[in-house]
Amino acid sequence: MKILVIEDEAALCETIVAYLEEEGYRCEQAGTVELGSEKVNLYEYDCMLVDIGLPDGSGLSLIKELKKCHPETGIIIISAKNSLEDKTSGLDLGADDYLTKPFHLPELNSRIKSLLRRRKFEGKQELVIDKITILPENRQVLINAELLQLTRKEFDLLMFFVSNRGRVLTKESIAEHLWGDFADSADSFDFVYSHIKNLRRKLVEKTGIDYFQNVYGTGYTFIE
Amino acid sequence: MKLQTKINIRFLVVTFLVFSIAGVLFYFALGQVVDQNIREMLKSRKAYIELNLQQNTPSADSIESPDHTILIQRIYSIKNYNLFSDTLAYDQEEKELVPFRKMTFSVKSGERFYKVILLQSLLESEDLQLIIFSFMAALFGIVLLALFFLNHWLSNKAWNPFFKSLSVLNNWKIGETQSVSFDRTGISEFDQLNSTLEKMMQKIQADFVNLKEFTENASHEIQTPLAIIKSKLEMVLQDKTLHDQHYQRIRAAFESAIRLSKLNEALLLLSKIENRQFVDMSEIDICQLIQSRLEYLEELFALKQIEVTVSLEKQVTYMMNPLLADILVSNLLSNALKHNIEKGQLIISSENQAITISNSGEVVPMDVSRLFRRFSKQSNASESNGLGLAIAHEICNNYNLQLNYHYLNGMHCLSIKQKSQISTNLHVNFDR
Repeated sequence: MKILVIEDEAALCETIVAYLEEEGYRCEQAGTVELGSEKVNLYEYDCMLVDIGLPDGSGLSLIKELKKCHPETGIIIISAKNSLEDKTSGLDLGADDYLTKPFHLPELNSRIKSLLRRRKFEGKQELVIDKITILPENRQVLINAELLQLTRKEFDLLMFFVSNRGRVLTKESIAEHLWGDFADSADSFDFVYSHIKNLRRKLVEKTGIDYFQNVYGTGYTFIE
Repeated sequence: MKLQTKINIRFLVVTFLVFSIAGVLFYFALGQVVDQNIREMLKSRKAYIELNLQQNTPSADSIESPDHTILIQRIYSIKNYNLFSDTLAYDQEEKELVPFRKMTFSVKSGERFYKVILLQSLLESEDLQLIIFSFMAALFGIVLLALFFLNHWLSNKAWNPFFKSLSVLNNWKIGETQSVSFDRTGISEFDQLNSTLEKMMQKIQADFVNLKEFTENASHEIQTPLAIIKSKLEMVLQDKTLHDQHYQRIRAAFESAIRLSKLNEALLLLSKIENRQFVDMSEIDICQLIQSRLEYLEELFALKQIEVTVSLEKQVTYMMNPLLADILVSNLLSNALKHNIEKGQLIISSENQAITISNSGEVVPMDVSRLFRRFSKQSNASESNGLGLAIAHEICNNYNLQLNYHYLNGMHCLSIKQKSQISTNLHVNFDR
């Protein structure tokens, strides 16, 4: 899978690329609209991450360009501008998702995976992780061909962990994934804990394996 | 008290005092003059009688003039009389006792001595005195009145530019882009004041705009480095070879970076609201918005075992920006969640186009004066940045909505309603 990251802030760009490369993606970087446009026209990508505020113009023009030559490429906007206009105009141009800076890297990763699943496999892909089989389109989890009953939040949580297998997921990133802006609520970490406890229990009951690992004071890791 | 009234009162008091003192003095001076006049008259008459008596000795012992003003009596020895005295005598014409000035003296005529009594009525002179005095008093009164009205009119005219400037100042709102200008008055003091005011207001305006722009730009610029810090720390946290101690330290840094970025986002939002950068308006059904938000938050309330009671029968629509409406509702609900207690209560109700969100919490009422201020934390919820309600308040201000707080039966109640005087301008629907 090839991803084009268009972000003018070199340090942030490198971090994103480093994280995504660890996930097994091949990444290319561009810091300006000019360079981005060159790459968009020359090569084919599976997904493009684009910042709106670039030094030589708006990332929105890149979305237009990309839609013309490679309409099948997924587009995620990463922008510091938390304004509705940017969001709607970006999505109107054909972007698939919108992330506001600063974001959590696992969140970005999970959004890319979900986007690629929708784009490449039309959501019909089955995710098989050890004994767990996930049907993302139907929001179903099968264990030994048996349906596992999960609440909506538990399913979201499992998908988030599965997308970021082997990663340390901080409590903050989990809370934000589940509740967005409400995540700053003082007790949201207790809720994260209680959701994970329930999910863990259900998985252990059916599979006999504890996939979750506590990372001291920080969060959790999903291990295969 | 108005400056004009104050000046007028002083002016009147002083004028009145001066006039009354002058009046009293004038009265006595007039009396003196009249008195002097009568004496002179009597003295000249005395000289005339003396001359006559010295030349011709009268035959009769007693002579009286027909109008009883001259009485000559024979006496047998010369006496020194007190020259002037006042007396009352019957006046034939007036038919009553009137005051008279009496002059008594003795004259030697040949071998005889005579006592002469001269009488002069004081009535006419008193009348004269009174007429002159009342005329003067009337004149004083007229002058006083004229001065009063003149003064009133003059100061009204003179203060007119001042009141114009005052109304300009009253209508001026800081943050409004249109520049303020005062008309030229032609009075150098006021022109000077106006030009100083103009300069001052322009400076305030410029400073205000600068500050707003600074806040916005600063928050915006801070966001990128924060994103980098956050993502780098997140990368470090992925490192499995780290010691627990290192984890802890990085975690602390990570947590603070997150807090900082949340705070920054909130400040940025606040300055954007203040700068009125959210221009899109549409009719928002607040009740529906609350319902959908509640569904989203259901779990968080359930986990804290908070009993949620919703009684929103009426549809309440406000004209506002959709994003801000969302933020307003989110902030109020998360506020009610954040500051609630375990097994607490949340009651959301609507009545007469007003929405009230009540939640249980600490059993002390909040300090209303500080509640909507930025960074005024009144509880120990450390995750709270103290901006949530400030943002809600600012949003309400933008749309002529009123955000009120009251404490009732252990419940903290926040209510939104439209400010009455402008309510007709905004479209409100209730009673389906």
